[in-house]
Amino acid sequence: MNSLRLGSYTFSSRLILGTGKFSSASAMIEAVRASGTQLVTVALRRFNREQLEDDLFGPLSEIEGLTLMPNTSGAATAREAVKAARISRELSGSPFIKVEIHPNPHHLMPDPIETWEACKILAAEGFIVMPYIPADPVLAKRLEEVGCSSVMPLGSAIGSGQGLSTAEMVKLIIRESNIPVIVDAGLRSPSEACAAMEMGCEAVLVNSAVAVARDPAAMASAFAKAVEAGFEARNAGLMPRSGAAVATSLLTSFLGAAS
Amino acid sequence: MSSLPAWLTDERLSADIEPLLRQMDDESLERLAAEAQAVTLRRFGRIISLYAPLYLSNFCSSGCVYCGFASDRTSPRRKLDVGEIEKELMAMKALGIGDVLLLTGERTAAVGFDYLRRAVEIAARHMPRVVVEAFPMSVAEYRGLAECGCTGITIYQETYDPENYRELHRWGPKQDFLERLETPERAITGGIRSVGIGALLGLSEPVGEALAVLRHARHLCRTYWKAGVSVSFPRIRPQEGGFQPNFTVSDRFLARMIFAFRVGMADVDLVLSTRESSTFRDGMAGLGITRMSIASRTTVGGYVEADATSASQFEVCDDRSAEAFCAALRAKNFDPVFKNWDAAYNNPLAAEESA
Repeated sequence: MNSLRLGSYTFSSRLILGTGKFSSASAMIEAVRASGTQLVTVALRRFNREQLEDDLFGPLSEIEGLTLMPNTSGAATAREAVKAARISRELSGSPFIKVEIHPNPHHLMPDPIETWEACKILAAEGFIVMPYIPADPVLAKRLEEVGCSSVMPLGSAIGSGQGLSTAEMVKLIIRESNIPVIVDAGLRSPSEACAAMEMGCEAVLVNSAVAVARDPAAMASAFAKAVEAGFEARNAGLMPRSGAAVATSLLTSFLGAAS
Repeated sequence: MSSLPAWLTDERLSADIEPLLRQMDDESLERLAAEAQAVTLRRFGRIISLYAPLYLSNFCSSGCVYCGFASDRTSPRRKLDVGEIEKELMAMKALGIGDVLLLTGERTAAVGFDYLRRAVEIAARHMPRVVVEAFPMSVAEYRGLAECGCTGITIYQETYDPENYRELHRWGPKQDFLERLETPERAITGGIRSVGIGALLGLSEPVGEALAVLRHARHLCRTYWKAGVSVSFPRIRPQEGGFQPNFTVSDRFLARMIFAFRVGMADVDLVLSTRESSTFRDGMAGLGITRMSIASRTTVGGYVEADATSASQFEVCDDRSAEAFCAALRAKNFDPVFKNWDAAYNNPLAAEESA
């Protein structure tokens, strides 16, 4: 009940961290440790077997109890993402793949059509498939049908810090989903992560908000607490929002007295 | 001259940024810097992507008055052979470089498309990202390069002022203003994933040039939604031939231009090379600039030979070693990134879908 299930894996932490954009590999590692996260995503493009100083994979793989989820950031098509996923699995030994397909290299919005294609192939190949998607409830169900282990709708554009601007759509996705829904991208503050958890997300993925904070490790820790608080609050049963005011003449008076 | 494209003079494409470029006061410059920093930090984080140039050849058929490779310069001509290219790449790899810019002069009998394609093939075996800064090519030729692993091209218009362009390019294939202007579009149509553009600052009136580059970049982003667009800010440097620029581009104006571009185009890469001083480069890291060159040798064979004898295209200003430059970036709390791409993605863009 209290652990996050993704494929055959379980995690007690519900915060997933992205590893790009940090001022150094050591700042990133400190943030990862401070967050208590058990699952991090790392881009294949930042695997550097030639120059270990530049490599993110090496230092991450040394942290005990941490599962790596490679991502396909850079892929513009399903074909590229599938190729990148296979290479990533070889390099990392991890069955997780975060499918990120953004044909426009500027705004980095995910391509729903290519994403669906890639997920169908990768799920059939036994990957634990975690697609980064626009907050589209129909696409989310289509991805569940082809065997994804979660869906990761965006809160707002990557690196925009605009928070949960897609909240209404995310709620719809959560209401209909049989797989974990994880908000990915756009969050700026721990309170937004908390709100996502209260709303019913099973986890939250954060990168920029931690990486560019003045003190990334402290911010990572703050996000971890917020995610936990949101999850706890949801399980504790949130007080109902106050409904419509009760009219003085009762709307149901025509029903007569109960017999 | 055949007709110029509409975007070149379409003021609506640059109206939001023009006032920022025309301000002169320090207070507005500081405000703009703060905004540029915030936008850069959100979208790109605390990393600076690095690349290094590799000069393949200084043969050239053109007569650009401002260039040390122009065909009337007396310096010896040279091109790297296959073995030498391989050696240079190995030397670059030893420095940790994973992103190379291959350069030549304008097309000649000695250095043409076949030579360049071979060089791209070799480079793509060693580097995940291979960008070409050479001569304008046809769609079919760009397709050929993309299939060999070329991920991007850089092509500077030099100046967007057609009259001035004619005077500065005294002879050779580069005299065709329009052919050069349309080169990025041919490259994208041929499947090249990213194009870098820019004006050689100092050739024409700086505000006008900045606005033209901005319109060009926005036109490309709008028309080719899958292509990556980046903008460079080369300023004329002393070179063999001794050309004196027509316009002075001050540090303050160049900084203002870069800030304004970042505010106007939040998510394109903005590039600064070793043409600029170490002080300027260190200062601009993260204030809009997201890509920088390192360990730049602007002579042919410059990585393997400590003292290459051929003339350089221009004098490098920031001549720090890769290590020293990276140390300076780290001291400013930025991560110098040598590899920010993967060969898994080196496929030509689907041209029919891009246009």
